[in-house]
Amino acid sequence: MLHLQLRNELWKLFGKKRTYIGFAMFVLAQLVILLVFRFSRASSGMGALLENNGYDMTSFLSPLTAATFTNFWLAYLLLPLFGTLVGGDLVAKEAEDGTLRLILARPISRLRLLALKWVAGALFSLLLTLMLGLTGLLLGLTCFPWGGLFYFVPGESFAVFEPGTGLIRYSAAHLLMALKAISVMGLSFFFGCFNVKPAAATILALSLIFLSFILMNIPWFADLKPWFLTYHLNLWQQVYGDPIQWGRIGESLFLLVGFNATFFAGGVAVFSVRDIKS
Amino acid sequence: MIELRQVTKVFGGRTAVHALDLAVARGEIFGLLGHNGAGKSTTIGMLLGQVWPTSGSVQVCGHDISLQRAKALHRVGAIFETPIFYDYLCGRRNLEILSTYTGITPARRIDEVIEWVGLAGRERAAVRTYSHGMRARLALAQALLPGPELLILDEPTNGLDPEGIHEMRGTIRRLHVELGLTILLSSHLLSEVEQLCSRIAVVHQGRKVFDGTLAETRRTESWIDVELDRFDDAAKGLMAAGWITAVEGGCRMALAPGATVPVVTRWLVENRFEVSGIAREQQTLETFYLSLVKAARADDARN
Repeated sequence: MLHLQLRNELWKLFGKKRTYIGFAMFVLAQLVILLVFRFSRASSGMGALLENNGYDMTSFLSPLTAATFTNFWLAYLLLPLFGTLVGGDLVAKEAEDGTLRLILARPISRLRLLALKWVAGALFSLLLTLMLGLTGLLLGLTCFPWGGLFYFVPGESFAVFEPGTGLIRYSAAHLLMALKAISVMGLSFFFGCFNVKPAAATILALSLIFLSFILMNIPWFADLKPWFLTYHLNLWQQVYGDPIQWGRIGESLFLLVGFNATFFAGGVAVFSVRDIKS
Repeated sequence: MIELRQVTKVFGGRTAVHALDLAVARGEIFGLLGHNGAGKSTTIGMLLGQVWPTSGSVQVCGHDISLQRAKALHRVGAIFETPIFYDYLCGRRNLEILSTYTGITPARRIDEVIEWVGLAGRERAAVRTYSHGMRARLALAQALLPGPELLILDEPTNGLDPEGIHEMRGTIRRLHVELGLTILLSSHLLSEVEQLCSRIAVVHQGRKVFDGTLAETRRTESWIDVELDRFDDAAKGLMAAGWITAVEGGCRMALAPGATVPVVTRWLVENRFEVSGIAREQQTLETFYLSLVKAARADDARN
């Protein structure tokens, strides 16, 4: 029964055209960033940086490097947007359309319904992130020869990996990026459990994420970084560390699971006492 | 099948339903009548566990809806005023989706219901291509899927054309006769209720102002319609004799307590009036409803 109900939620989610906006925009954005990177001075600048640090540019200007470079920006901006868009829709759109009333005329409990919707949202987020990783790599293969991974964030990180290690790090980063997508979806899902329009749930969640990002990046608040949600959402960057700080990854993982449980429990609490009217 | 005891629902500072008592027996077609905003939909929401009562108890199929919602709704189907579905999916997929919220439904059962409501051949088309009438049939199909004992219909003919209304009315009768369903029909359309229901409750501003059989609403009033020559003379004579208390419109007379149609007829004949016709005035549901609402409004104004 559970799998049938989950299948239904997925049918509903993937039957809508707007669900695919995220997938389509990601591919388009990756293509644009990649083309600009390949055919502008950006790639030669990166090559020069590698050469100046004693590495062979041709070994590291690769699909892995290009995809990491591309997805870094998409994970910051577009991933939260599409995650919150779907999370906000899951409950609030059904309430707005009136189909929620049709569902709740049946003997399914509100907790079970929310759990199904959350799992469907989480599967969407996972799929979206994995697709981001895969298409980034495939598009990168059309522009660069296979090679190692170069990860560079000015003032924060400079790391190079052999192709095998690079692929493992790249895959691990996208798995953790999926946790970010699930968390932002969960935040928007929480707001969607209130009596609000789907757009309001999305905007509220995005506003909180942006606010957290702004606070985290104010130099005077540097000591407070671990208190901000976005600090933990960007956990995926840690797998590009050399060496990997497992303690930091464990802490963020633990906190993100806690955040998600809190968002879900809050959503259930709000939704359970809500009156569902036309 | 349904029992509401002293149910009250307050939204913010507004009381939508006030101390409502209601009982619907198995096998009845029960009409819940009231103007828009009277509290009918809120009452239905409480019956389905969608709206939580502020106080009182709601029992559906012998189970308390607040405590045993799943058991209470296991054999209940519902249709709402506007048939809304997942438009981008086909009719059959909509039914598959909605049925699993009750339990596992065999494909054969879905086929049967599609056939029963007359949607066979169109069940694979996207719902967005359906006419309003077809959506109403799909709404009926989803309500019938769990094999309900109780069907709750909230303004089921809203938005239908006259032909659609006629068809829906026929379907409701079929459901009652062929499947033996207990039906709660909420409507503000008096003719619909009058043609379908055996018992009704009238709600006004969240309060029940009447609960009884349709026959009771048609009880004869004390007015009679009289066709005769020299109406004014007859009226004066009957008034003097103490058989009537008032006249109206040159053809209506109000009987005095104890007066009957045979008594008045005998008096008219004995006094050589030519009586072409005389009959007690039959009260329609409309006049009954309007008189109830008028009285309720007068009560509200006094309070």
